[in-house]
Amino acid sequence: MNVKMKILQGLLVTFAGLSSLLSSAQTPGVTDKEIVIGLFAPLSGPLVSYGIDPLNAAKMIYEDVNNKGGINGRKIRLVIEDDKCTGNDLLGVAKKLITVDNVFILHGGSCTAAIAAAQEYIQREKVPFVMLNAAGDNAVFPPTRYMFGSFQGTQRVYGSALSEFAIKSLKAKRIAIIVHDDDYGKANLAAAKAVISRLGGEVVAEEKIPPNISDITAPVLNLRASKPDAILSGAYPAPAVLLAQKYGEFGMTNIPLLQSTQGMPTPSVYAKNVGNPDALKNLYHTWSFTDIAKEDVKERMLAMYKKSNPDREPGPFMVTGVPSALAVVDTLQRMGKDLTREKFVDAMEKLNLNSDLMTGPLQFSATRRDALRTVEVVKFDGKSQKVMPDYYSWNGKDGN
Amino acid sequence: MGLFNLILQGIISGVVTGCVYALVALSLVIVYKATDVVNFAGGELVMIGAYIGLLLLMWLDWPYVVIFLITPVFTYALGVLFSRFALEKINRKKTTSSTVLVSFVIATIALSDMLKGIVRVIPFTEEVRRLPPLFSGPPLFLGDLVIQPQDIVIVVVASLVMLMLWVLFGYTMVGKALRATSQNERAASLIGIPVKSVKSAIWGLSAMVASIAGLLLAPKLLMTPDMGNMVMLAFAAAIIGGFSSLPGCVVGGILLGIVQNMVGIFISPQAIAVTPFFVIMLVLLIRPQGFFDKTLAYKKV
Repeated sequence: MNVKMKILQGLLVTFAGLSSLLSSAQTPGVTDKEIVIGLFAPLSGPLVSYGIDPLNAAKMIYEDVNNKGGINGRKIRLVIEDDKCTGNDLLGVAKKLITVDNVFILHGGSCTAAIAAAQEYIQREKVPFVMLNAAGDNAVFPPTRYMFGSFQGTQRVYGSALSEFAIKSLKAKRIAIIVHDDDYGKANLAAAKAVISRLGGEVVAEEKIPPNISDITAPVLNLRASKPDAILSGAYPAPAVLLAQKYGEFGMTNIPLLQSTQGMPTPSVYAKNVGNPDALKNLYHTWSFTDIAKEDVKERMLAMYKKSNPDREPGPFMVTGVPSALAVVDTLQRMGKDLTREKFVDAMEKLNLNSDLMTGPLQFSATRRDALRTVEVVKFDGKSQKVMPDYYSWNGKDGN
Repeated sequence: MGLFNLILQGIISGVVTGCVYALVALSLVIVYKATDVVNFAGGELVMIGAYIGLLLLMWLDWPYVVIFLITPVFTYALGVLFSRFALEKINRKKTTSSTVLVSFVIATIALSDMLKGIVRVIPFTEEVRRLPPLFSGPPLFLGDLVIQPQDIVIVVVASLVMLMLWVLFGYTMVGKALRATSQNERAASLIGIPVKSVKSAIWGLSAMVASIAGLLLAPKLLMTPDMGNMVMLAFAAAIIGGFSSLPGCVVGGILLGIVQNMVGIFISPQAIAVTPFFVIMLVLLIRPQGFFDKTLAYKKV
């Protein structure tokens, strides 16, 4: 009996040990000493300004964690790739990171359309995908299990915030909207229209422009002809500048111009490109970070960045790479030592992270994949930025 | 703003951008007439002109007048070098005239990618940039209509360049040599015209005109390494006029600028981007030789 029991015990111990070994061997990108994360962003191509600094910022957060001893005894190792903000390139990068580099999770992407192109593959491979800094409307609505993002708010959040600000703070009634004719623009427009209708305003013009528009005269003439009290814009950087130029040229500067975040990745460059101080005297934009109002937060971020990237002067968009990295680190810390991709997804769904960098909490749930729903509105006169008193939150329904 | 004024404002703005489209179209047509090559790097030569202007402004803080004189010199050299070191080498290894034409076109595509690549590695081109206004000053108000001083400068400079090209081709020995080479290379060679040098000069001239268009365009339409994509508008302008008619592409460019604005006002801004393609298809269906080219007009004798 004793001998049999000892043999049985021995077998059980061996089996337990083997299963533990197998379990850890079966989780790609995780060893006793490291967690491998695939980090990517546009590092070349026309949308590179969305990618380099944010990727460096995410890298600096991981480096900081490693310098403090890692997460539960493991260091983070990054495999960095360039997705060029195109669907084909991002899908290729995701495939390479999953099949060749065997990463634990994917962390990257600055452009919603490119991420959405990889969504089906991600769901099939069951690999957690944490967006770097894309607004991500298409990829998070409807929510899917492995996709997490919108750490600086979706287009729904921006459209909703600017509409509420226009009506409540600027007392505007007649509102003209100009957005792109893509899913990004449609999401912004739908939320804006819903809020304007709910608050008793009127949409007097809806101009949908292609992202590659080179002459914006006609849509601006249409906006002008609608005699609005405020103009809401969901334009990308180049069309946003063209819009402000024409708005200034056509003497419309007494009408407040409200621009969503993505149109002004670097406000100083935006102001220089617009080139007409008069066009900036009634300009507002959304922002998801507290670094404008809180000098200490800004200084802390800049100091961390300079330590990690001594040769590069970051633009303001740098901070957009921070919250997603903070969320990954927080989730890994909460998970303890036992890491699997499925457990990562379960832990990510319980994210409720309050950071002094953000204008609101970063939250997910079983039915929610967009992290941030609260933003601030900033007045920018070309030289200085002033944060408006209230925060604006999307209610999760308007425009959905 | 009444409907009449809305249309008038659209026409004014269309003429301004149309003048720049016309310049780019001219740069394409000059090369096509002389060498039978469609220059797919035409847009990137516009882009390079704009970025050279930006560099001169940022680093040396030179006035616009000097930049307008210096930039074309750089791009002229670029055009000549491309002709000498790429096209002539291809020409020496030619098998048949049709295959060599394909090789030439592919060489222009390579030049286009190369120029974009060079600009992208310059660090500050990560951001969208713009040249400062060509002329600062308060706009002119004619009732509801607004005319920017910069727009007047663009129309004047573009018209001057067109006038200079007209004089060059019509009334100078150099222009006659260019025309002779484009009409009959062998005959031109027999009467002592240095054909190779003339062809290089044509590429240089084309690059020069494109870069001036870039300098005019950059204060209005912003600069990115991809701004050369506007070459489609120049193709449309050239096709309206007939791909070998210089006055035709001037009219084509201005017409296209106006049509784009009318489409944006009366149909949808979304349709602006497809307008050039629609115009190209329409002209090719109705009058493939364009409205100013008479080369396909045969007479029965």
